[in-house]
Amino acid sequence: MIIDPYKVLSVQQSATNDEIKKAYRELSRKYHPDSYIDNPLSDLAEEKFKEVQEAYEQIMKERENGYSGENTFYNGGSNPGNSEEESLEMKAVYNYLTAKYYKEALRALSGITQRNARWYYFCAVANSGLGNNIEAVNNAQQAVSMEPGNPEYVNFLNQIQWRNQRYQNTSNDTGRGFGSGNLCCDLWCADSLCECMGGDLCSCC
Amino acid sequence: MFGYVNIYKPELKMKDYYKYKAYYCGLCKTLKDKYGRLGQMTLTYDMTFLIILLTSLYESDTVREEHRCIVHPAKKHDTLCNEITEYVADMNIALSYHHLLDDWKDDKSIAGLAGVRMLRKDYKVICKRYPRQCSVIRESLHLLGTAEDNEEKNIDLVARSFGELMAEIFVYQQDFWEESLRKVGFFLGKFIYIFDAYDDYVKDLKNNSYNPLVTIHGKDSYEAECKSMLTMMMAECTSEFEKLPCIIDVDILRNILYNGVWTKYVAIQNERKLKEGKKE
Repeated sequence: MIIDPYKVLSVQQSATNDEIKKAYRELSRKYHPDSYIDNPLSDLAEEKFKEVQEAYEQIMKERENGYSGENTFYNGGSNPGNSEEESLEMKAVYNYLTAKYYKEALRALSGITQRNARWYYFCAVANSGLGNNIEAVNNAQQAVSMEPGNPEYVNFLNQIQWRNQRYQNTSNDTGRGFGSGNLCCDLWCADSLCECMGGDLCSCC
Repeated sequence: MFGYVNIYKPELKMKDYYKYKAYYCGLCKTLKDKYGRLGQMTLTYDMTFLIILLTSLYESDTVREEHRCIVHPAKKHDTLCNEITEYVADMNIALSYHHLLDDWKDDKSIAGLAGVRMLRKDYKVICKRYPRQCSVIRESLHLLGTAEDNEEKNIDLVARSFGELMAEIFVYQQDFWEESLRKVGFFLGKFIYIFDAYDDYVKDLKNNSYNPLVTIHGKDSYEAECKSMLTMMMAECTSEFEKLPCIIDVDILRNILYNGVWTKYVAIQNERKLKEGKKE
């Protein structure tokens, strides 16, 4: 982890994504190893080049979910579960997920017969990691409907929802969008979408 | 492929439109020079997107030329070509070869067999040069065929084979950008597969062919669910795309990803409205 990746790229924290991309391009060109062949500074330049790449990657990951940070599961945000209540099998799944062994996690999950909210949540995380994003949403919805007050499950759904909303907003801003062309109807759609994901955009409908 | 990954012309600047056309003509010309008339016939818009994406990411040196072509013989056209165009032309031939092979196997199509015979030699050369991509194309299409034969009901599972195929093709070289390119390709591939199923639903029903959307088709929420699935695929695809440091031609790329991919979808909706209007 770089403590201040913005400083490495010499940009303000408030810089837009496109400004960061331009800064990255300039610096990576400046320190590119190809420009330092047979040069005593080549080691230094290579180090700098790697640092620039890392800083860029870090900023992009941080910004991915609307500044809310990466998926909470990997940042120790997930509760490992009450050691007495949680079965050994579920603990094994938890360990697979933190190590990003999603296939193994799914296999272990399919052998567990007690399917509570947490089981569905674990399925959601594993499916999401494998790119099975339709299944992941279904699992996460199930987890939230079984335990609506659990912030971890709700947060997981919200992150997916946030990406969908960002896509639709950009699409509407940059073109015809593919909305109905009717603000009320779009709002209603957005609200329904939120509600089916466990949130609520406007409480009146 | 299917031609779903296209531009949305009304929102594209003129200069970007001409540049897009020039990349497209560049691919057409490369296909013709390397693989002859048959190669040229495999041209689609989908692959033009990949050329622009990789060219923007790797900032490859691009050559602009003017050419006449058989489609537009009266006027000279700009073409833009680079190493990426060559790569994408090769991938296009590899995909077309498998497509023709399937046509021959499934329907005993004579045109398929003729195409396979003509492209076999080229395909073998491409396989030697790009073993990673070609083996994944082969495996993914095999898995896809098995899933379709078994009438797999889980849409994620069927669509992911095509996603994995696209993911592999998007990885031009295994470097720092591999993970992001893989995801962009994967979710775009899933989008294409699901959209193709949506587009072909009526036809598949008539022919009694397998369609992965059969499980949700009876529901009242069918249309909404399809749109929601397609949106989800593009949301994941673009959230990964936005992580790539693409500056050159980013307006074209965003035009395609945020609007262009819906062109056919909107056309289908309008067509249906028109039909319903006539009935009333």
